[in-house]
Amino acid sequence: MLAVYKKEMRQAFTSIFGYIFLTFLLALFGIYTYIYNLKLLYASFAYAVSGVSTFFLFLVPMLTMRSLSEEKKQKTDQLVFTSPVSVTGIILGKYLALVTILFLAIMIVSTYPLILAKYGAVNMKVAYSNIGAFFLLGCAYLAIGLFLSALTESQIVAAISTIIVILFTLLADVLKDLIPSDHSISVMAIAVLLLALIALSYVMMKNLIVSVVLFVCSFGALIGTYIAKPALYDGFLTKLLGWFSLASRFEDFQYGLFDATAYVYYFSIAVLFVFLTIQAIKKRRWS
Amino acid sequence: MIEVKNLVKRYGSFAAVDDLSFTVEDGEILGFLGPNGAGKSTTMNMITGYISATEGDVIIDGYNMFDEPEKAKQCIGYLPEIPPVYPDMRVREYLGFVAELRKVPKKDRKSEIDRVMGLARVDHMQRKLIKHLSKGYRQRVGLAQALLGNPKVIILDEPTVGLDPMQISWMREFIRSLAKEHTVILSSHILFEVNAVCDRVLIINHGKKIVLDTPEQIIRTIGGTEGIYLAVRADKSRVDEALSGIMATGDIQTVREERSPEDGVYACSVFPKPDCDIRENLFRMLASADLPVLEMRSETKTLEEVFITLTGEEGTC
Repeated sequence: MLAVYKKEMRQAFTSIFGYIFLTFLLALFGIYTYIYNLKLLYASFAYAVSGVSTFFLFLVPMLTMRSLSEEKKQKTDQLVFTSPVSVTGIILGKYLALVTILFLAIMIVSTYPLILAKYGAVNMKVAYSNIGAFFLLGCAYLAIGLFLSALTESQIVAAISTIIVILFTLLADVLKDLIPSDHSISVMAIAVLLLALIALSYVMMKNLIVSVVLFVCSFGALIGTYIAKPALYDGFLTKLLGWFSLASRFEDFQYGLFDATAYVYYFSIAVLFVFLTIQAIKKRRWS
Repeated sequence: MIEVKNLVKRYGSFAAVDDLSFTVEDGEILGFLGPNGAGKSTTMNMITGYISATEGDVIIDGYNMFDEPEKAKQCIGYLPEIPPVYPDMRVREYLGFVAELRKVPKKDRKSEIDRVMGLARVDHMQRKLIKHLSKGYRQRVGLAQALLGNPKVIILDEPTVGLDPMQISWMREFIRSLAKEHTVILSSHILFEVNAVCDRVLIINHGKKIVLDTPEQIIRTIGGTEGIYLAVRADKSRVDEALSGIMATGDIQTVREERSPEDGVYACSVFPKPDCDIRENLFRMLASADLPVLEMRSETKTLEEVFITLTGEEGTC
């Protein structure tokens, strides 16, 4: 694990990507801090942090797009996966390197509230809980980016799919207010989602019986519960979209509220996608 | 020692490797031979644990690759078809990474890297970026990487592809020298190479084992009748007359006329019955008829012809 970690760190800073990431991130923080805190004289550092967090959309794929797709394309994965290191160790090494690069930027940004405190009162608790949330949000996005780069050989596909997914998590909060919340539409949406999942399971497993059994069971349960208790599905889509809304959980911090569940949520997303990455790599070697 | 037991790899309904079993003893070089798409690389990828098997077992030095992958992988050095190098790393830096990845103890790392760079003859390139190296040198860096940590088993997938003749002959000699301390599996579709380097040859096609034996034995058992090529300065009729004497004893089965190498010379291939040496007899008959023999040589089937007969495929070389 340590070997992979060191190699990733070295590669990030012998290639141009590590520097671009840090420069871009720090430049954005500089601009936002200047505008909000120095120019517009807001007392809270939270606005700057929140402003920069949108740019994860471009920052994250910059780091993650090469991570696994490039190894596969260059065939260096044949070296890495035939070495006496477990898949989990390899993926963790890669992920921790990504997180470390983000952490480097966070360390520098963490000095900003201290500098600002020289010129006025800064609420340190709000400032640092924001920076903490920003870091964890970044970790969650990095895990998603890593997962998507495990699925393809092409850096471009990895980058674009990461941008799309992050964009979706940014927009989910807006979308959820736009869609109808009554139960009949919710059930139809669930039916469509289930069909898509079953079709996906068939494509992946090529097993008709399993797919048919899945279809019968899931649709039986869906129709059964709908007839028995339709209210169960009220506002389901809104809730569903809410689960994916990583960005909306950031807002509370902006208003100075410390929300521990958001920390847990980001951390869980990160763990989930690192786990999925490991599974995706293992699966690729099994098929 | 490498034991491969009933190895199967299926992609959907297509079997890339179909019930393959063999054993490679310590210090042996096994040649892995087959036309393109026969399942050579797939088998090697399973032996090295890069991909999993649908069924069967691979046991490296007592460790099962699928049950104790980390221990089994520790015993293997692998050079895949395309050397797994990072273009933006320097040679020494790359080998340092692989040494750490392969868990070479920290205190031995420097000397171990120097050792393999010396063996693969890349020491004068150690400060270069790999992307600036030629194909031949990349291949050597890949080889150096496979030797790191002095693994018991070394697996080389088409190690001479893309090398120039000098490098090829160096590589072959080098592989031979490895056999003193290592067990080697080497895949190739160049038959001459396998013949020159390997102790035993495993021929596979469509994922199935066709034959596993020493190159000599394969040629002997499957080679069929050996012919004798004759070039005689005489007319066809006079040679036929001289040969008819041996024909009558039944020692010669058939005579096939060959293209005449020069004017006034008759050339033919004579096929004796199996296990019958007629060379001396031929000489005496032709000499007594006062027919000058310009050339006489035994024609053994090459591994190449055997291979084509066995796999039923042309143009694999």
